[in-house]
Amino acid sequence: MLSVYLPLLFSALFGVAAPTLGRRLPPAAATWLLSVGGLLAAAGSAASFALLGFTLVGQAPLLAARGHWSDTALRHADPVWPPIAAAAIAALLVLAARFALAAGRRLSALRAAYQLAAVLPAAGGELAVIDHPGLHAYAVPGRPGRIVVTATLLRTLNAAERRAVLAHERAHLTHRHHLHHTIVHLAAAANPLLRLLPAAVALSTERWADEDAALACRRDTVAAALTTTGAGTRTFATPAVVLAAAATDVAVRIHALRSPAPRLTPWRVTLLLGLLVATVLAVAEAAHDTEQLFEFAQYAYRIGHR
Amino acid sequence: MGKRRASGGLESEVLATLWAAGKPLTAGEVVNVLGGDLAYTTVQTILTRLHGKGAVDREQAGRAHAYTPVLDEAGLAAHRMRAMLDRGGNHAAVLSRFLGTLTAEEGSTLARLLASQHHTPPEEA
Repeated sequence: MLSVYLPLLFSALFGVAAPTLGRRLPPAAATWLLSVGGLLAAAGSAASFALLGFTLVGQAPLLAARGHWSDTALRHADPVWPPIAAAAIAALLVLAARFALAAGRRLSALRAAYQLAAVLPAAGGELAVIDHPGLHAYAVPGRPGRIVVTATLLRTLNAAERRAVLAHERAHLTHRHHLHHTIVHLAAAANPLLRLLPAAVALSTERWADEDAALACRRDTVAAALTTTGAGTRTFATPAVVLAAAATDVAVRIHALRSPAPRLTPWRVTLLLGLLVATVLAVAEAAHDTEQLFEFAQYAYRIGHR
Repeated sequence: MGKRRASGGLESEVLATLWAAGKPLTAGEVVNVLGGDLAYTTVQTILTRLHGKGAVDREQAGRAHAYTPVLDEAGLAAHRMRAMLDRGGNHAAVLSRFLGTLTAEEGSTLARLLASQHHTPPEEA
């Protein structure tokens, strides 16, 4: 039953390795790997806890009678030390509560963003200019999503930089970056070993939008626009899911823009995908082992009731 | 410069240019600011469309029109109120205290708006 601990190990490795390796990958690939990978890793660790816990729950005589397996045989054959199984059940309950809480908060933040997108001045199409002294630009997901820029920022930038800022914000909306943020946020709630993922995805989506903007104008123009917007601090409230252009890791992003666009490095992708495949295989193996354990207990039950 | 431009993005760029200028601009001046391979007629079409939607005002400047962006006061006020509400706290309590600050006339306007909203319910139940 060693396989039942492996998803925990692999998801922990993924949680540490993915943010570091993701920085060196093209941002779109990094974002997908981090978010979908985070989801798999979180599901894998939850499955691990559930299988561990079930070996103990299965020993309850009432449940054993219903499932036609012998609780005594299970108790004797079970390789999981009961305190560990009990701890797994407790962990599963706590993490499920954390997940539900995070999901609720996230949902209301998304709803707030959609409402904000709907009440923003609409005559200008996707762009809503607000009269504010700060140097701000952000994307508000919604139906349709909106780009909010302060008039002060537009007056500060030149034409090429304005195009860069608009292209950056539009990239957040067209690639639905808020959904990637939501996924890793929930994954981290369900598995604290993945707690580095939300910041990593915040950075990778910003870099993704930067690279998209660099298709519309020169890389150093995007960097210059970023320097200007990065200087402004946010002074007014926006919903948590709003994607602010320059909220994260400005120095890292400017460095990335001063270098050529990153290329896909096969070993980094292979390593991360390998960890995810290993997580899934370990869950399958642990489920198989648990099934065999219960088959043995059912066999013992039939012998005992002959 | 002169690289790929998102198709829907030109309207935003034209509007952003007007905001940045701080003075009325003609279609020709907008083309000059944006540079590149933009056609005058394209910009003129966008400006006409923006004017039709009420996003920009226009005035006669010689033989051409000069355009200035319009600040949507009602939309901005709604945005600020939304942002204040999202800042946290108990929404129901904030709204009920807010209702207490309304005049009778504002209250009946609000009631009328809410009633008309119920005929075309938004996604929020």
